[in-house]
Amino acid sequence: MKDELKNFIDNNRSAFDDHRPPEKIWSAIESALPGMRKRSLWNSVSLWRAAAILFLGLSVYFFMTKTLQRNEGALSQVEFTDLELFYSSQIAEKVALINDIDAPGESDLFTQDFQRLDAMYQVLREEMKNRPSEKVKDALVLNLLVRIDLLNQQIKKLEDSRRPARKAKASLV
Amino acid sequence: MEYKGLEAVPIHDELIKRCLQGDRQAHYELYQLYHRSMYNVGYRIVNNEEEAQDVLQEAFISAFRNLDHYRVDSTCGVWRKKIVVNKAINKVKKRRMERLPEDDRWDVREEASADVLEGFPFTVEKVKNAIKRLPDGYRMVLSLYLLEGYDHGEIAGILGITESTSKSQFNRSKKKLKELLEGGML
Repeated sequence: MKDELKNFIDNNRSAFDDHRPPEKIWSAIESALPGMRKRSLWNSVSLWRAAAILFLGLSVYFFMTKTLQRNEGALSQVEFTDLELFYSSQIAEKVALINDIDAPGESDLFTQDFQRLDAMYQVLREEMKNRPSEKVKDALVLNLLVRIDLLNQQIKKLEDSRRPARKAKASLV
Repeated sequence: MEYKGLEAVPIHDELIKRCLQGDRQAHYELYQLYHRSMYNVGYRIVNNEEEAQDVLQEAFISAFRNLDHYRVDSTCGVWRKKIVVNKAINKVKKRRMERLPEDDRWDVREEASADVLEGFPFTVEKVKNAIKRLPDGYRMVLSLYLLEGYDHGEIAGILGITESTSKSQFNRSKKKLKELLEGGML
């Protein structure tokens, strides 16, 4: 059976390689070979580790900035309440002064500007309530300062217009 | 020397280069290309699933670790096969369930032509089962010669026996195989 067996095996050679090793063998081989550069990223444990660390880092970052923002916002809110109280009293004072001097309807342009600023102020104030931040606070303070400046200008204007009248009165006396 | 199975795939120089750079995917591709044939070579020698798995694992780890020693002038398949064969034989030797013949006392006469079977009336499955039933020494020599393509000089070197012992062992193994096949015990 010398040649028959040899021929038979040669002709059916691939059929003799029928055993298949289990998948776990590769994992065992892989783990025994350290320092391999991982090209298949999705199967890489260290990639997942790096991703987890990155995710953790980002979470901490966002949590911190959010908390800081909230703190900053809260701080702006407190700061603003004080500023608003101070400037509002000044504004109220000046408005009262103008009302004393000025006859209503005389300064249309000023009234319009003042009303516009007040409308903007209300919008900003709403924003401050919902999303307090340093920026909104600054805008609110600026609005108040502009209004004070506007009021000061109006007062000066009114005082100037009264002065010649006084002078005239004095000359008459 | 005629090679089959392991050598059917051309040498992948590029793949080996990538492996040497530490590319994991290249290692996996190389494993995918040869694991099945290497597993079967080892399996035929140790004749045991668990040990065949160990042999495959050890052979690949050894092959990957010594990839830089692989020379272009030597055929990649020969080198890989040698690793798996050696690992498998070491397993069998360790097992020591059956000692390999140490001298020419095992010599037998060439089989008479009258013993030659008419045609070959057996299936692959039957031949495989008969090979599995051979004693370790017989199975190793027969597998190395008929399935792995080594000649008797090489088998003598691999098993640490003389060339004539390899020849006589091969003749005995064929006789035993014939008995098993004709005995209808399979």
